[in-house]
Amino acid sequence: MVKTYHPETLTEALKIRNETHALPYAGGTDLMVRYRQGPGLVPAFDREVMFIGHLPELTKLQEKNGEFAIGACVPYREIIHHRHTPEILRKACSLIGAPAVQNLGTMGGNICNASPAGDTLPPLAILDTHLTLQSVSGERQVSLLSFFTGPGKTILRDDELLIGIHFRLPHFTAEGYRKVGTRKANALSKVAFAAFMLKEKDMLADIRIALGAVAPTVVRSRELENRLIGQPLTDLANLMPDLLESYGTLIQPITDQRSDANYRKTVSLNLIENFVLKEES
Amino acid sequence: MKNTISTPVDRLDGPDKASGRAIYTDDIRPDGLLFARTLRSDRPRARILDIKLPELPDGYFIVNKNDVPGRNRIKMLEDDWPFFAEEVVNYVGEPILLVVGPDREQVNQILKSIEISYEDLPPVLSLEDAITAESPIFGDDNSFAAYEFQKGDPDSAFDAAKTIIEGEFKTGYHEQAYMEPQGMIGSYTDGKLTVTGSMQCPFYVKNAMVQLTGFPENRVQVIQATTGGAFGGKEEYPSLLAGHVAMAAIKTGKPVKLVLERGEDLAVTTKRHPSVSRYRSAVDENGRVTAMEADITLDGGAYAGLSAVVLQRALFAAIGVYNIPNVIVRGRVLATNHVPSGAFRGFGAPQAFFAVEMHMEQIAAELGMNPLTFKEIHLVQKGDTTATGGVLRDEIKIREMLNRVLKLSDYRKKEGMFASRKGRFRNGIGLGIYLHGCGFTGKGEEIIQGTATVRKLAEDRAEILVSNVEMGQGAQTTLRKIVATTLELPIENIDYPNPDTDRVPDSGPTVASRTVIIVGHLLESAAKELKARWDENEVLSVSKSYRHPSYIQWDQDKLQGDAYPAYSWGVVAVEVEVDTLTYETAIKGVWAVHDVGVAIDEDIIRGQIEGGILQGLGYASIEVMDTENGAYRQRSFTDYIIPTAVDAPKIESELVDNPYEYGPFGAKCAGELPIAGAAPAYAAAVGHALGIPVHEIPAKPETLIKRVEK
Repeated sequence: MVKTYHPETLTEALKIRNETHALPYAGGTDLMVRYRQGPGLVPAFDREVMFIGHLPELTKLQEKNGEFAIGACVPYREIIHHRHTPEILRKACSLIGAPAVQNLGTMGGNICNASPAGDTLPPLAILDTHLTLQSVSGERQVSLLSFFTGPGKTILRDDELLIGIHFRLPHFTAEGYRKVGTRKANALSKVAFAAFMLKEKDMLADIRIALGAVAPTVVRSRELENRLIGQPLTDLANLMPDLLESYGTLIQPITDQRSDANYRKTVSLNLIENFVLKEES
Repeated sequence: MKNTISTPVDRLDGPDKASGRAIYTDDIRPDGLLFARTLRSDRPRARILDIKLPELPDGYFIVNKNDVPGRNRIKMLEDDWPFFAEEVVNYVGEPILLVVGPDREQVNQILKSIEISYEDLPPVLSLEDAITAESPIFGDDNSFAAYEFQKGDPDSAFDAAKTIIEGEFKTGYHEQAYMEPQGMIGSYTDGKLTVTGSMQCPFYVKNAMVQLTGFPENRVQVIQATTGGAFGGKEEYPSLLAGHVAMAAIKTGKPVKLVLERGEDLAVTTKRHPSVSRYRSAVDENGRVTAMEADITLDGGAYAGLSAVVLQRALFAAIGVYNIPNVIVRGRVLATNHVPSGAFRGFGAPQAFFAVEMHMEQIAAELGMNPLTFKEIHLVQKGDTTATGGVLRDEIKIREMLNRVLKLSDYRKKEGMFASRKGRFRNGIGLGIYLHGCGFTGKGEEIIQGTATVRKLAEDRAEILVSNVEMGQGAQTTLRKIVATTLELPIENIDYPNPDTDRVPDSGPTVASRTVIIVGHLLESAAKELKARWDENEVLSVSKSYRHPSYIQWDQDKLQGDAYPAYSWGVVAVEVEVDTLTYETAIKGVWAVHDVGVAIDEDIIRGQIEGGILQGLGYASIEVMDTENGAYRQRSFTDYIIPTAVDAPKIESELVDNPYEYGPFGAKCAGELPIAGAAPAYAAAVGHALGIPVHEIPAKPETLIKRVEK
C-alpha cells in the first residue's frame, strides 16, 4: 500500500505535489480501475497518492458575465444540474458512464486522464476552453487543445495541479452533439462529435467542430473551420467533398476491440456533413 | 378462466438477494482459508518445455497435474479435458497450475514470478484451419461429433425442384454474462472431500470429483452455494474449478477458495458455439418448400465438453417450425485452439433458429413473396412430423399466437409502410417463430432417470429434496409453489435448501429447461402421494423417479423419432429504427406470445421471457466477442457489451394456455425458449429497414456500414 496524502487546502496540496509528485486523485473513477488488482486486494498504485476531490478551492462552479469557471474537482453531476451549463456539455456529461460514475467522476479528472475517448473533451474543445495549471512556483493558462500530447499524455508537470477549467458561454444558432457508443449507458465512445454553428443572414459566420475517439487526442482544426466561415450557405454543399477529404486525413482512427477504423472514419465524416448541411446530429 | 397456479406470488429468494443478505461463494470465509489463483497458458497451442518455480515461502503451495489423485480428466462425454495441462496446452487460458496461500497479494506475486518456456505448435484458429490442419487436436479429423439424418426423399425432391435456393448463415460467440463470476471452495476433513460453490449441476460436479480423486462416492460431498446467475455457463465449467480446489484442499489440508475475476472469467470460461450453417431448399411451382438441406458447423474449441449434445439440439431444430416433407440434416463440431465452447441457454437451438428463419426470409425474398405469408403457409400443424420424423402429437397454437403478435405489433401495416421509407432514419420490422424441445435431448431423460423427494417434516411442514438449483430462474418459487399447492400448505411451509449431494437424490442437472416440466412433475406426483399418505407417520418421505411416457419413440443411433417429450412455442416481432449516419439501431418495440403449457407463475415466466428476449437481442446486435491469435479480444464488461436497463425496449408479452398432460399443473418448458426467436426477428427487422439481407450476427454497425456504403 502506497503512502497517501489528504491536504486541507490547495496551498498544502501544491506543497505536497511539489515535494512528492504524488498522483492527484479526485473522483477515482479512472484510477481505481486502472490500478485494480482484483477482488479482495487494494489497488496497486505505482506512486504516492494525494486526495484532492474534497478541496473547497477545486469544487466551485460559477458563471459570471458569460464566463464559466469549473473547479477541477467538480463532479459531472453538478455540471449536469447547474442552470448555466451549456446544453452541449450537459449532454456530454449526462452520457458518461452511469449515475454512480457521474456522482464521483470529475471534469478535471476526465481532462487529465487524457483518454482519446474522453467524453467531455469534444464539447470543451469547441467551447475554446482554457485550463489553469498551478504549482508552488506560479500559475499558467493553457488552451485545452495544447494540453494534450498523446493518449494519456499531457503537458501537466509533476509539481502542478490542474485547478480550473474556463470558457465563455457561446452564442450560436445551432449545436450538435453525438456520442456513438455501443449502447445507451455505461459505454465508451467509438466516435464523439460536437459542433457549433452561427448563421448570419445567408452566410456562415462561425463554425466549430471537434471529434473524439478518432485520433490520439481530441481533434479540432480552426484551419478547416475557416474554409467554411464567411461562405454563403448556398455554397456549403459544394465545399463539402474537399472539406471531408481534409477531415479524413486529419483524423487517424484505430481498429480495436470496440470498433474499426473504417467505421470511425465514415461515421465521423457522415456526422460532419450532416451537421454542416442539415444542422442535425 | 384463471388458473390459480399461475397467479404470481413474491419471489421467495428475492428479499435476501435484493438486500445483500444472500451468501454467495465469495462471501464464505471459513477459518484458515487459503486463496488459489491459476497460472494459465498464454499460447493457443504449445508444448510446455520447462516451468521455473520460485522458492515458496512457508504456507504457500503449488498445485499441478502431479497432484491429481485419480484421473486428470473432467468427467464428460469424451473425457478429453484435463484439469491441468499435461505436456501440451491447447488454448489461451488453459490452466497449468495453481498458486495457493493465505495472502492474495503474495499469491499474485508468486504467480508473476513463475516462468514457463514453450515450444509453439501450429495452432488451429478457425473452422477452415480445423479442416485442413496437418496435426489435428482431436481424433483424425478434428471433429468432436458429426451426425446426419434424413426425412422423406430429399434427393428426388431436389431433382424435381423448380427453384433451388442456397444461403450461408453465421453466428458469433455469446457470453453468458452471469452477474456472479464462477467460484468454488474445497475442504478436506477426515478423509472426506467437500466442494461448495456456484453451480447448476451438483451431481455433475460430484461425479467429476469421484473420477478425479478415485474416492468412493461417500467421501465426496458437493453443496450448491447461492448462485448469482448461470445461463448454462455453470453447467460443465464448475467441474473444472471444483477439481482445482479439491486438489488444493487435499494437498494443503485447509479450505481453499478459487473465485475467478471478471476479466479472467470472460477470458477462459465456455461461451455459446460460433456457427456457420449452409442451407439449400427445393421449391416447387406453387412456392412450397419441398425439401430442405441443412449443414451446420460449430466451433467447439479445444476440448469436446458437451459439444456433441449441443450439436444434436442444433440439428433437431434445423427446420424450425415448418412442415418440410423431405429433409436432410448434417452437422459437426470441430476442434480449434480456442477456449472450449459450452452450454448456454438454448444449447445449439439459437444458432439453428437464426439460420432457418433467415433462410426462410431469403427464399421468400428470392421468390418475390411476402416473408410473413411464406412462413405462414409452411407452419407445422398437429400431426406433422419433426426433422427427425417425430410426431407433433399435442395441440399446436402457433397460428393463433402468430395472429395475436401481428395484431399487437400492427405488423402488416408497418411492413408496408416501412418498406417505402427514405431518409436518415429507416424503420424495419421482423418476425421470429420458434419452438423449444423440453428436457434432455433424445434418450437423456431416460438415462438420467431423475429422482425427486418430498418429505413431511411436521404436521404443517414439508421439504423438497432435489439436486436442481435456484440460479435466478425462479426454481425456489416455482418448485415450492407446485408442492405447496399440491399439499395445500402455505408456500412458506415448504423448505427447499440449496442442494447438498449428501442429502438429496440425483434429480438431474439444472439444464435443458427440465426443472419444471420433468422435476416439477416428479415433485407434483410425490406430493400427491404424500398427501394421500399424510397421516401414516410424523416424518415421511415419498420419492418419484422419471419414466418416459410410453408413446415416445427414439432411436439414438439413427437419430429418428421423438427427440423431445414436448415442445413449447413462441412468436416474436421486433421493430427497429436504424440511423443511417451511424448505423446504430434502436429497438422501437417488441411483441411476443408464448405457449409454455401453463405458467407456474406468471411473473416468473414474464421475467424469463423478457430476459430471454433481451439476451437474444444482445446476441443479435451489440454483443461482440472475437478472437485474435486464439484469445478473446473482449475481456471486460467495458468491451463485451450487454444491454443495460436503459437499452431494454418495452416488451409486450402474452401467454396462451395449452396444458401438457405430463407437466406439473400442465406446465411445459420456458427457460430457454424465448432466446431463440429474438435474433432472427432483429436481423430480419434490420434487413427490412436497410433493404439488405442480414445473414450474420452480431449485425454490428461496423458490418452494416460496409455493406451499405459500398
